[in-house]
Amino acid sequence: MKRSIAVASLVAAFQILAGAALAESPEAARAREQLESYRKLPTFQAPGEAFDAAACMKGKSILSIPASSAVPFIKTIQSSMSKVAQKVGFNLKIWENQGQPTQWVQGFDHAINNKFDLIDLMAGADPRFLVPQVKAAEAAGLKVVAAHLTGYEQPIPAGVSGVVPIDYKRAGALLADWAIAKTDGKANAVVIGINDVLSTESMMTGIKEEFGKCAGCKMSYINVTLPEMATKTQTNVQAALTADPSVNYVIPIYDVLSQWVVPAVTITGKSDKVKVATFNGTPFAIGLVQEGKVEVDIGENLDWIGHAVIDAEMRMICGLAPVKDPKIPLLIFDKSNADTAGKPPQVNTGYGDAYIDGYAKLWKLK
Amino acid sequence: MAGKAGAARGGNKALVDGFERLALVFVFAATIAVFGYLRPESFFTWSNFAAILGSQSVIVVTALGLIIPLTAGDYDLSIANNLTFAATLLAVLNVNHQLPVGFAIAAALAAGAAIGVVNAFFVLYFRMNSLIVTMGVGTFMHGLTLWLGDQQTISGVSDGLVNAVIVNRLLGVPLGFYYAFGLCAILWYYLTYTAAGRRLLFVGRGREVARLSGVAVDRVRLGGFVCSGLLGAIAGVLYVGTTGAADPSSGLSFLLPAFAAAFLGATSISPGRFNPWGTIISVYFLVTGITGLSILGISNYVQDLFYGGALVIAVTLSQIVRGREERLA
Repeated sequence: MKRSIAVASLVAAFQILAGAALAESPEAARAREQLESYRKLPTFQAPGEAFDAAACMKGKSILSIPASSAVPFIKTIQSSMSKVAQKVGFNLKIWENQGQPTQWVQGFDHAINNKFDLIDLMAGADPRFLVPQVKAAEAAGLKVVAAHLTGYEQPIPAGVSGVVPIDYKRAGALLADWAIAKTDGKANAVVIGINDVLSTESMMTGIKEEFGKCAGCKMSYINVTLPEMATKTQTNVQAALTADPSVNYVIPIYDVLSQWVVPAVTITGKSDKVKVATFNGTPFAIGLVQEGKVEVDIGENLDWIGHAVIDAEMRMICGLAPVKDPKIPLLIFDKSNADTAGKPPQVNTGYGDAYIDGYAKLWKLK
Repeated sequence: MAGKAGAARGGNKALVDGFERLALVFVFAATIAVFGYLRPESFFTWSNFAAILGSQSVIVVTALGLIIPLTAGDYDLSIANNLTFAATLLAVLNVNHQLPVGFAIAAALAAGAAIGVVNAFFVLYFRMNSLIVTMGVGTFMHGLTLWLGDQQTISGVSDGLVNAVIVNRLLGVPLGFYYAFGLCAILWYYLTYTAAGRRLLFVGRGREVARLSGVAVDRVRLGGFVCSGLLGAIAGVLYVGTTGAADPSSGLSFLLPAFAAAFLGATSISPGRFNPWGTIISVYFLVTGITGLSILGISNYVQDLFYGGALVIAVTLSQIVRGREERLA
């Protein structure tokens, strides 16, 4: 009898211990819950009421000025925008440039002189450097829109007519959530951002808020500048990993940075212990997820963004209610679904195509 | 009496000479000592030094590529564009066209040498300034790079190359370091102990004098541009080996650090001459400073203050020492 009680007690004690070991910390459980809805194929949600785009855009024109024509993801968004404009039937001209603000100024002059209806400043052609030009364009009756530059919570910069925001804060929060969930609430992360880029502020707000809710987590931040990211990122990450051997996550908030973060982790001999989580969903970075060098890349469908930007700008030209939330989804790519982006990964692949039909109906093209 | 004074002056000169040669090495050692004292547990570790040594092969090779035409009195501003073009060509051939990585590397190196020939053709045949020609050719190459890679970052390059550059190690240090070190030794031997290397220096010191002395100046300068092109392409191959990917623009940011290392290197080991050992010491001195500041958690603007400040102060000190040397002579 005594023996059976002792055995039963031992089994019970073992179960309690095992249960405690398996149970997730509340922080990790919360983080996992946050991530869940971004693991499913996104569905289309209309950002506003339906309208006859072809009719109201007849004879209208948009000039799109990219931050630089040499940046791969901007080029992809703009080629989507061009296709959409062709489909709707209006003139969209891309002002090709090498990233010099003087070239952006020339774009403004061109748009004003040629009576365009709207100037689209795409993904980093920063209106804060163009205040006199924005004023001149608006005085001449043109609308100026900063697209893919600000987060939802950031104010409209430099007096432009409108913005097409991206949920950067959410993207940042998801990166922190990923590290929290995977380390069971014991993340020690080195975050790398680019303060020159306006969206960094929004992403960092999301990251800090989430890590702030995790008592057992730690984070440090490294800022690299755009011109120096190729020469400084690797050195700084190596130094950070050397300075604190307990770091278990490196979070380059834009996946372009991951090409220098991965060698830093390899050279310091920490590939097994330190994981990389990043954002943007650029094909090469999803390739790094497929190779196991990056653990997760939170992707944004650039073709979807192209549609959403055109939708918001058409509404502005047509005098409809401005879009506050363009409903551009985020999708988590990890080893379980990275192959859906293609092998080798292709742009705009892996997100489904619900939005193509969705926008066609919204614009009454169908 | 006069003999004693002369001997003393000679002794002083030798001392000043030696100090000037090794000043940067002393400052480098002092930098290591200071950071080691402040953070012995993280800075003074072999893994830290291995990481520092193993991560700079691209800048070292780019800087070595620059000092060859600089020795002959020419500038090669196209070297960073050459680097990105070679990297992109390698990635396109290996990833997009599934060609063996060895073939892709050979093609990238051949392209680098060809760019050197193009630079030399315009500079030597049309007697144009190398600064203008290489800037123009470099910009043209950037356009070609964007076209070739479809303005995208290309990842998925053969693991064999990545393993051979940063994964496989000797004494804990990634092999990339040894390639750069080996190239440095070859270049040092070439410039110091071969007739061709001495001709390069001679041409750089005075083209007309060299020509009148029977040196085939144009051929020497052509060789300089071709070597520079080839080393730019090798740097591109090492860059792909480091990142496992190639993108069309980021390699361009290596140009100024490479120039900084070349000029800082010219204040040390063989003062007044662009020299390989001085160059490699400069690269590692600058990166050690930046790593130390990062380990201390100091903001990145201080890194720029260190980088720029170290460059200007080192060159200034070198000038002061040289002034004293001239007075002693």
